[in-house]
Amino acid sequence: MTVILIIGALFSLLLLRMPVAFALGGLGLALLLIGGFSPLMAPQAVLSTLDGFILLAVPLFILMSNILLKGGVGRDLFAAFQAWVGHWPGGLAVATLISCGVFAAISGSSVATAATIGTVAIPEMIARGYERKFVYGLLAAGGTLGILIPPSIPMIVYGFITEESVLSLFLAGIVPGILLLLFFVIYSMIYARYLGGYTPEAPVSWEERVRATLRALPSIAMGLLIIAAIYSGAATPTEAAAVGFAFSLIITGVVLRTLTWRGFIDAAFEAMATTVAILLIIAGAKIFGKAITLYRIPQDISAFIGTTIDTPAVFILVVSVVLLAMGLVFEALSMVIIMTPVLLPSASAMGIDPIWFGVFMVIMVECALITPPVGLNLYVIQAVAKAGLGEVARGVLPFLLLMFATVLLLYLLPDLALFVPFKL
Amino acid sequence: MAFMSRLNLIFAWLGAALFVATGFMLSWEVVARYFFVSPTIWAAELSQLCLIWGTLLAMPWALEKQRHIVVDAFVLLLPARTRTLIDGLVMLLTAAFCAMVVWKGGEIFWDSYIRGRGSGTMLGLPAWIAELAVPVGFVLLFVQSLIEAARSFGGRDTASGGEQL
Repeated sequence: MTVILIIGALFSLLLLRMPVAFALGGLGLALLLIGGFSPLMAPQAVLSTLDGFILLAVPLFILMSNILLKGGVGRDLFAAFQAWVGHWPGGLAVATLISCGVFAAISGSSVATAATIGTVAIPEMIARGYERKFVYGLLAAGGTLGILIPPSIPMIVYGFITEESVLSLFLAGIVPGILLLLFFVIYSMIYARYLGGYTPEAPVSWEERVRATLRALPSIAMGLLIIAAIYSGAATPTEAAAVGFAFSLIITGVVLRTLTWRGFIDAAFEAMATTVAILLIIAGAKIFGKAITLYRIPQDISAFIGTTIDTPAVFILVVSVVLLAMGLVFEALSMVIIMTPVLLPSASAMGIDPIWFGVFMVIMVECALITPPVGLNLYVIQAVAKAGLGEVARGVLPFLLLMFATVLLLYLLPDLALFVPFKL
Repeated sequence: MAFMSRLNLIFAWLGAALFVATGFMLSWEVVARYFFVSPTIWAAELSQLCLIWGTLLAMPWALEKQRHIVVDAFVLLLPARTRTLIDGLVMLLTAAFCAMVVWKGGEIFWDSYIRGRGSGTMLGLPAWIAELAVPVGFVLLFVQSLIEAARSFGGRDTASGGEQL
């Protein structure tokens, strides 16, 4: 009963447009007071959240990708891949997807990925006669790779909440991320060949390829460097983010000379806005999490699930449906933050690996990013392309199905996620 | 209100500058450790302080500019007048939450200040330097949420907003 009341209260506050951070924090504090627990826990939770070394990675990764965005790195990446694969069937689509994948490796955000690559790729693809619906779907879906391929802000947050290793989560995201990218690429090639009006492009000259590649090389090298530094244990994710920030300044400010002072200032200010929004939700969730643990809510839910659902397969199926339903109105990060503490105890009781569960959650919230009416990537593409939401949403459907297929594959072969962090 | 707006903006810029500072401090830390084999004792701790103060000081600006993450699919279905009333009430609830955090967060700060409690880290900074950020940030947020409540009750309708990741 208490469970239903608390969940009902939370969802009411959220649906009434109370900022997620204050709905979680406020309700958590109210629960502490009602239950006779010390309200000192609320400010303590805020402090302990913001005092975390792990979460320092959040502003730094955001700063880094904003600086690269202002420095026009998206354009360079796209040009380089276009030079190599542009003449394939669906070549522009493939170049777009690979650019998304590579930008994902230097950015932890889906929206940044969709916006960066979308700004350059959408006009180009439409000019070459690709169907609009397909282009929008491609970019919205390609953007979601941003949070699956490390670095990933939702994974940092998941790691912080569950006290699991962010490093393991990052590593676990690599193979599923590449797999998803591969599915998208294959689909795009088939689509362009048999369904879209595919007009073959002439291959570009080798000089052009070399020139475009050299220009994109520093950004690609940076992506690899960050992963290598984290993987080898040379740097923590936070330090890797700091080094990435410094490198992004050097690449765009000194090597390419594309970053203006104004661009840097804008990047810093925007990064601040995003960071504040994210960190406060985590702080709010920490207060809420403390309160529901004292009320033994996760334990009750876990016990309830334990008596009604007996196999991990059914559990994962039910959780998928719940997350998809939430994804209709919630955005990605809030879902990770709200649902992880509630679901993870049940998942662990079923013998599901917490790192695997993290990767699963990230793919499911990626679906939330592109399901209407609330799908951030949809909004971004809509804004970048000045298109109708319906058109974008219809274009996304085939990609959504490919994401479901990836989840299924991940369930059948958990090692797709777990091999790199634990068995390599 | 104009004064508060100006103050919010100044603190937002301060927050942005503090976050950028963490980037420089922590990349310096990595350089110092690997190339000079002399890790700093200050980089991590000062960065964490920057994160605390930066976030809490910039919070009221984010509220004023509607950059906090919200779920607005439902309220957008409602008539404008109902929506503005709901927005106003929600801001009053937010103000109540802030007031409580200011009070309790203030207690934590005051207790550490009076007892001269240390943070127990290498720099040995007093614990209250970080703890003071909570009451300060939430006092500002309290004032801003009252201003927002007044604006909403006054009929200001916001279609949508929120920071996106």
